[in-house]
Amino acid sequence: MPARHTYPELLNANAYLRKASESFFFQCTTRTVQESKLFPVNPYIALSYYNAWYRWPELLRKIDAAMPAEEIGDRARQVGSYVNTITMGLIPQFYLGGRQFLMDMGLLRATDAIDDVLDVLDFGRRVNLSLHRSHAHITPSDAGQRAQIHTARQTAHFEEGAIGVTPGDKLHTAFGRFMATASAYGFLSHCECRLSFNNHGPYKTRGGHEMLVRDMLDLAECDYPWMDGIAAPIEHNNLTVTVVMKDTHFNIVDDWGSFEATPSYDAANLVAVGVYTSDHLSDGYIPLHMDNASELADYLDEVRERMTEATSGMWKMMAGWNRTQMIEAGLLVYSGVTKDLAHFAGVYEQSDWFDIDDKARRFYPLMNDEYGGGAIAELVGLLSLTTQQNSEHHMEKFTGARGEMWTPIPYSLLTDDEWTSTVGPIGPGGTALPAKTALYTTTRGKLTQEENNRLAREFRPTGWDQRHYDDDTWVKSHPHDPRGRALDPAPVAAAPTGA
Amino acid sequence: MTETAAFQDAWPKPSATPVVEAYHTAIRKLAADRLAADGRRWEEVVHDPAFQPTAADYETIEADLLASGYRFEMSAIVSLQEAPDKYKAVAERVDSGLQEEDEQGRSIVGTGDNVFRAQDVEGTARFVSTVERVMELLTEGVPEDTIAVIDDSGGTLTAPILGDFKAVICMGGTVRSHLGILTREYQVPCLMAAEIDGLNEGDRILVEYAKPAADAYADADTAAAQRARVIKVS
Repeated sequence: MPARHTYPELLNANAYLRKASESFFFQCTTRTVQESKLFPVNPYIALSYYNAWYRWPELLRKIDAAMPAEEIGDRARQVGSYVNTITMGLIPQFYLGGRQFLMDMGLLRATDAIDDVLDVLDFGRRVNLSLHRSHAHITPSDAGQRAQIHTARQTAHFEEGAIGVTPGDKLHTAFGRFMATASAYGFLSHCECRLSFNNHGPYKTRGGHEMLVRDMLDLAECDYPWMDGIAAPIEHNNLTVTVVMKDTHFNIVDDWGSFEATPSYDAANLVAVGVYTSDHLSDGYIPLHMDNASELADYLDEVRERMTEATSGMWKMMAGWNRTQMIEAGLLVYSGVTKDLAHFAGVYEQSDWFDIDDKARRFYPLMNDEYGGGAIAELVGLLSLTTQQNSEHHMEKFTGARGEMWTPIPYSLLTDDEWTSTVGPIGPGGTALPAKTALYTTTRGKLTQEENNRLAREFRPTGWDQRHYDDDTWVKSHPHDPRGRALDPAPVAAAPTGA
Repeated sequence: MTETAAFQDAWPKPSATPVVEAYHTAIRKLAADRLAADGRRWEEVVHDPAFQPTAADYETIEADLLASGYRFEMSAIVSLQEAPDKYKAVAERVDSGLQEEDEQGRSIVGTGDNVFRAQDVEGTARFVSTVERVMELLTEGVPEDTIAVIDDSGGTLTAPILGDFKAVICMGGTVRSHLGILTREYQVPCLMAAEIDGLNEGDRILVEYAKPAADAYADADTAAAQRARVIKVS
């Protein structure tokens, strides 16, 4: 029986799938092998792909029904949140990773769960098109490794708000120390993965300088149960820092929100900084303690001291975890890359994102360190699994070899091939980790799950009706039109307390 | 065509790593046998939980491999601690006795890729490889002149004490690894992908952190010429 999809749908899906495949290969082979003596990283990465495969189709459909993917992308473009370049770019990757592993084990065919596959790819494509609307690409790699998701009114606001620094002054020193501590804290809270950080830009600024917009995410008591209590002293869950650099060109801001610069990033070239908080409930970016340099420096020192304390406490707790708990925490960070979509849509349920599907858990006995490392290396680096191989004539974009990361959807579905629709509804799951008990830290204070969802469903950002004027093409020909001004951020002012 | 799978493959290729090849081959055979025994079409069984292998099936597959004498490489300390019988023992530190000497006749006990250009650093080599060692340093404090020798390119094992090191030598990863990123943020001089030979706990060493930062895009010869040296000074 022919599948209920059109030829153009499959053409679009396969083109996006192949784009994702090539993006992920470039990233995985040019960044670095992720490893840790503390966390069994590759086993948890591999397992997260199964969890994504079994859970994301239904979860993304639930989100899409409450708020369409392209609207979430529009909203996310206005704030620094976990709906960003790296997390949204990973939608096809983690999900198709589960599909490819199962196919390679002979437990799935390319013609299986077709409605799920097409739904997930369609959701991923729409949210990324919308998130990256300002530069009109779907990934930074399409844009020559630039992630310019902000409009001119946003970048102008960031530039105007940035506070000047010089090496050795109080703010410059505080900022450098804060960034180091926040980086270590983020790697630890995210179980060795880089998902706590995301960079957007670069943007040209006055004097030939360049500006990067850097998000640090899920810093306070948030969705991760292991941050309950330990992260309570951290006031804001998301921080966005703007850095303006002299004599520095950010030549790569990539599909993982990582950057490279020429010459290398050197704090001595930092000329101005800004600090903001925001989330799914905020009306854009809220400046923090930016009335003057001294106040901002004092604030960063205070946050740094709290994060240093929290890092020690969290490390001691994690070092006492057993292997299953370590794997499950990392797995949940990975398969949870899409969780903030549910926050924007107001349909977040902790068990959706922090229970591990029993269908994924049954693979635990396979996941010794060597199998996990080999499976991930073959899947995303070597492209050497048997199901990834094409004919002897085939040449992959980067390697010239016959392996391609993700297997396309066969077009025979449109005629007489057999196929299946879905993996079915989300099944039972669980975790060996302690349950979440603390409230969720937001820009509206600390909230219960129900309050958080209700406020999200009720929230209508200022200027939402004018969002289609949030477009540099329109602004160019309407420089004084009040419809565009409705979206302008409020002037820098004292920040609210988060809790 | 693969003979042990439930479906055909016109362009097969063995996996590149032994455990993946062993596991996936065994699972393909299991699925093929189940499909043949079931009698239903693939589309009728593929999402049926009764058809899918269970955790017990996977335990059997692992047990079969271990019964052949195979032992796994470990990456995380906890894996070896919880299942020492499944993993290979940790390799001993290398000391070939064939170390080259520098211009002053001192032993060169290692080389590595410099994360960022700093000043040369002299200090005491202290190996940091276990949770217990980190806990000890976290509790008692990191001795002032510590050049930490770490075999983990991740950023989590040493996260609470990283900023207290005088410098770092990491025996893994690349300059883009998480540890490389963090040491640059902390401005703690660091060598990545270090190869050491004859370096011991407590050795007094001089490390060439004044060398230019390693170029991640350099060819092999250029990269080798750029590597900074670890010199034993006493």
